[in-house]
Amino acid sequence: MKKIILLVLVIILSLYLSCERDDICPESTSTTPSLIIDVFDFDSQEDKKNIFNLVIAGVDNEAILPGYNFVSSDNLILPLKTDVNNTQYILVKEASIDDNGTPDDSTDDIIIGNYDTISINYSRTNIFVSRACGYKTVFENVTLTIIDDGDNWILSQQPLNPNQSLEDETTAHFNIFH
Amino acid sequence: MKQQHTLTFFISSFILLLFCVSIEAQNDSIVKDSVIIKEKYGLRVGGDFGKLIRSFADEDYSGFEVTADYRLKKRLYIAGEIGFEEKNTITDYLDITSTGSYIKGGIDYNMYQNWLDMDNMIYAGFRIGASTFSQNLNSFTVYTTNQYWEPQFTSNDLKEFNGLTAIWIELVLGMKVELFNNLFLGLNVQLKVLGSETEPDNFGNVYIPGFNKTFDSSGIGVGYGYTVSYRIPLYKKDK
Repeated sequence: MKKIILLVLVIILSLYLSCERDDICPESTSTTPSLIIDVFDFDSQEDKKNIFNLVIAGVDNEAILPGYNFVSSDNLILPLKTDVNNTQYILVKEASIDDNGTPDDSTDDIIIGNYDTISINYSRTNIFVSRACGYKTVFENVTLTIIDDGDNWILSQQPLNPNQSLEDETTAHFNIFH
Repeated sequence: MKQQHTLTFFISSFILLLFCVSIEAQNDSIVKDSVIIKEKYGLRVGGDFGKLIRSFADEDYSGFEVTADYRLKKRLYIAGEIGFEEKNTITDYLDITSTGSYIKGGIDYNMYQNWLDMDNMIYAGFRIGASTFSQNLNSFTVYTTNQYWEPQFTSNDLKEFNGLTAIWIELVLGMKVELFNNLFLGLNVQLKVLGSETEPDNFGNVYIPGFNKTFDSSGIGVGYGYTVSYRIPLYKKDK
């Protein structure tokens, strides 16, 4: 009788304990890469040049890209949409806030500065990484276009490789000059 | 970590049970010198009721296993299992159904010294296992660490990966206790090492029937079983 009771206990406890650990994708694993852009001086194209008071926001995205809210930077890391073949960003140089005469009310604030829009086109391939990380998207045939608004501050762009593809985040993928 | 806990748990319950069995054994240990004890030899067949319970309790799992062992020598048994499993693996990024059957064969060695005519087992053994299975990728969502653009691409196109195979070896630790005449209740834990597997193209085997869940970092697998089995006695031999 003792044996049976113990066995039943073992069974119940083991069923309870057999729930599995959640797999977590390790941060060191290379997953869907972001587009990395280095920023150079147009007049002396070997030299990096900061963009001051930079604000970046995605077109059709109401949020400012985290990490690019009035910063000075010469290195841009832009996530790309994984569900369509085009992502557009607005880059605002020397941005400032026009509070519309109401400094206490931030809802009607407008960011003013020189707006430039870049459009990134690519094709996507989904590659299996692992059980925990699932699939990642790699981007191929990536092209970057500076949309002409008559007052561009981004003067030119250059991919680091012909038929630039984005497979990881170890190196920059594009250079822009201003 | 859970697996490790489960393993520790099992090992300690074995010790407990061993203790339990020996206490009971001591209760009726008045030995008469003249008694000749015969041991039963036969074919023991059974099923894994743990898998049955799980099939009812867990909507993402269904499976069954038939087990058998045959006593070759005093302590040596030839043992095997045949089973079928279907497992739905659902994570935040993947939804996969693995279906297939497996067969395992090997040896069990009884390490337990029985008192008198008792016929219990605490055993260690090994198996070679093989599985043929298929995996259906029902859906997936692209993994990215940056969630600025949402949602990520989700594919709902069913992708089938058929004709997959895997071979592994496993170590088994377990016990079988004779509850009533010829009826045994058993439990065991298995530690598996994957030998080879068919790698599906641009996909991975997240669950192999018989081998169970796979891990990203290693070819190690774990498993457990609860069995009820009946021995068909064939002949007796002196102890």
